[in-house]
Amino acid sequence: MTLSTMIGAWVAVFLTLSIFSYLYKDNPFYKIAEHVFVGVSAAYVAAISFWTQIYPNLLGRLFPKDGPLSFTGLEFDFNHSFNILYVFPLLLGLMMILSVFQKFNWMARWGIAYTVAIAAGLKAFGYLNSNVLNQVSASVISLFGENLPFFNISGDSVFNNIVLLLGTISSLMYFYFSKEQRGNFGKLTRVGIYFLMISFGASFGFAVMGRISLLVGRFRELIAYSEPSYNYSTIWLLILIVAFLFYHSLREKESNT
Amino acid sequence: MIRNLENLIIKVGDVDRRVIFVLIGLAVLIPLLTPVSLPIRETPTTVKFYEGIEEIPKGSKVLVSFDYGPSTRPEIHPMNVAVLRHMLRNEHKVYISCLWPDGIYMALDALEDISDEFSLKEYEDYVLLGYRPGAEAVIKGLASDLRKVYTVDANGKFIDDIKMMDNVKNLNDFAYIYSGSAGYPGTFEWVKYGGDPTGVRMSSGTTSVQVNEVIPYVRSGQLIGLLAGMPGAAEYEKLVESPGIAIKGMAAQSFAHIVIVVFIIFGNIAFFLKQKKERKYSK
Repeated sequence: MTLSTMIGAWVAVFLTLSIFSYLYKDNPFYKIAEHVFVGVSAAYVAAISFWTQIYPNLLGRLFPKDGPLSFTGLEFDFNHSFNILYVFPLLLGLMMILSVFQKFNWMARWGIAYTVAIAAGLKAFGYLNSNVLNQVSASVISLFGENLPFFNISGDSVFNNIVLLLGTISSLMYFYFSKEQRGNFGKLTRVGIYFLMISFGASFGFAVMGRISLLVGRFRELIAYSEPSYNYSTIWLLILIVAFLFYHSLREKESNT
Repeated sequence: MIRNLENLIIKVGDVDRRVIFVLIGLAVLIPLLTPVSLPIRETPTTVKFYEGIEEIPKGSKVLVSFDYGPSTRPEIHPMNVAVLRHMLRNEHKVYISCLWPDGIYMALDALEDISDEFSLKEYEDYVLLGYRPGAEAVIKGLASDLRKVYTVDANGKFIDDIKMMDNVKNLNDFAYIYSGSAGYPGTFEWVKYGGDPTGVRMSSGTTSVQVNEVIPYVRSGQLIGLLAGMPGAAEYEKLVESPGIAIKGMAAQSFAHIVIVVFIIFGNIAFFLKQKKERKYSK
């Protein structure tokens, strides 16, 4: 095993146990892990965004090999030809960076406005097409389709189609606020609430399942790193952290009394 | 006797949350240390997913997107490894993209896991296109012109110099799109800007948290099946006959669920008993 693998394992175990220590209470180990995570994530995303996007796709197009700006001495060969339009994203990007100076912070608004406009346009089309039109057309079903069984819990059936129809209409009606939810209309919206509650319950169940899966993943790695080949890293670090937390809580108790 | 039982339940309801953490931790840890085999039954969405990949003509070009990072690796990684295994077994050519910055390391890990099994050769069996920032803008770019988004692959090699990239201009040149997704950007964006506009068949493996929101896409046919969290991965591992870490983790998952359900039941009973007691004393 290489030294870097060994160091990586010890760091991974230390950070995992430090984050788990928050389950006991807020403590210095948790704070260290939290700050390391935020710092490393920000730096990593900044670096990778530069090398995978700005460098080949922006600089590569403004300063291509043998391009009109090659007299500047800047040349980035990514098989691109010169494209003057890329000056605009460069300028907007620089304006956003300049906003760190209070005098120029108005400049960031142009870049943000451009980003918001593009995102709004892109998302409007996507939502309308995939989440509205396609979903509406998928809910148009033949209730008593050919050779459809009346009941089949896991496949298409008349019963499931009725549930789908009732659920869609009653849930939509619940969000119709131009009529007071009383009488028969109120009863229908109440059915809608039940459908929504079942949906929230399912979401909660799935969320719990997801969190447990992540816990399984972390435990599996902690078990792997507790082997002799990793110098029992999990066991040693667990003892260290528990001992420190115990000492820390004793000191706290003493200072309180 | 009944009063004692009621008091005991109320006490359990007031138990320190740290005791619950320890019990859930033990429920996960013990089955991992002493493996227990529980039966796994495939759900219709997983079977549909499997059949969807089986229907792709042999030797097709397939796009696999690694849209997750280390935080959700336990859920998505097993399914992505199984999907790669299934696709390579069917002799498909695999093109790997990443919408998450650390997705590239997940892809490298997955390729390493199956490298020996298939004697994988880069640029013959797969191309690792790598990560590009921009989320839905990247997918939109892939749908119109792949070379505008990727001029070089993850190794810095020119796309035009890669033989496997010949005749690959945009998403329409792929027979299938798969996204192993842990959130934004992921399945939703691939459906909206990749699958739906181009009509290319696609599917996804998602974290459990997303399942409720993604499942309508399966019913509408926008996704051909779905792998739902770690249970979905375990079911798929069973279908492709390559038991892996998802199957091994299912016992731990089931035991933890039992503990949580027991605490929910006790918590609710304790709540109602406490209310009853308070009402009695307030009279």
